[in-house]
Amino acid sequence: MVGLVVATHGHLAEELVSTAEGIVGKLPGVATCLVQPGASLDEIREKIRDAVRSVDTGDGVIVFSDLCGGTPCTLSLTLSRQLQLEVLTGVNLPMLLKAASLRAERLPLADLASALTQYGQRNITNASASLRDGVAAGNGH
Amino acid sequence: MISLVRVDNRLIHGQVVEAWVPALKAARIVVADDEAAGSDLVRAAMGLAVPATAEVRIQPLAEVDFAAVHADAVKTLVLVRDVGNLVEARERGLPLVRVNLGNVHHRPGRRPVTPSVFLSQLELDQLTMLTSSGVEVEARAVPGERAVSLPELKDRYGKGG
Repeated sequence: MVGLVVATHGHLAEELVSTAEGIVGKLPGVATCLVQPGASLDEIREKIRDAVRSVDTGDGVIVFSDLCGGTPCTLSLTLSRQLQLEVLTGVNLPMLLKAASLRAERLPLADLASALTQYGQRNITNASASLRDGVAAGNGH
Repeated sequence: MISLVRVDNRLIHGQVVEAWVPALKAARIVVADDEAAGSDLVRAAMGLAVPATAEVRIQPLAEVDFAAVHADAVKTLVLVRDVGNLVEARERGLPLVRVNLGNVHHRPGRRPVTPSVFLSQLELDQLTMLTSSGVEVEARAVPGERAVSLPELKDRYGKGG
């Protein structure tokens, strides 16, 4: 099973995972990594490496980072030659929930990463505009 | 033109890209850092982060032509890793006007002076030397915070951080 690491600024990672678990139940093979002020890059890199190792069962790991170019993303990328991992940015709750279910299909790491990226993007919508368009087209409910 | 020199051990990261670059309207980021320049992976990862509207240069400190960077009209943010690098850059011709201390991580001998800045007595002395030549030194993580002045940083250091 592909392992999942959520790596963010502040406490976002913990909150995302606990919120996801509140919706779909306990997620196995998920670790979090928080980047706090005052930590050195080496310390943060080691934290990410430990988190990746803790969930890597040999199928690789997907790192969900918050910000493209943020420290969690940049340092994860610098580990991507030594460890079997894919680094995604812009983590959101739909992606995490989808990861939990899609992992059961045993996709190769890169395919799973690609599917989750598309899913995360598709789930950012202007819902009220979609509703208005739907009503205007006569197929609102 | 160098708008700001920032001491930040994380170099290009979220606070820089999302807060400082827009606040300064910087069109160029110069990272003067041997370690970052020495890794193609780090250079590529940091370059990914920056909007296409801004130019990024990641060079060994000794190879940056600070005078040339300051001579043209492109608003530039210069990033160095720690105070020692700042002093070295100064010796190599970095024209300092404003220095911001952003992230300087903890290590033995350093005390906390803000939540994200840890300094040693030597580093405070080096910063004091810089201010005596007219440089303005402040600490804050992002532009929206209150800038903490050097005298205030020294005061906090004296009280044990």
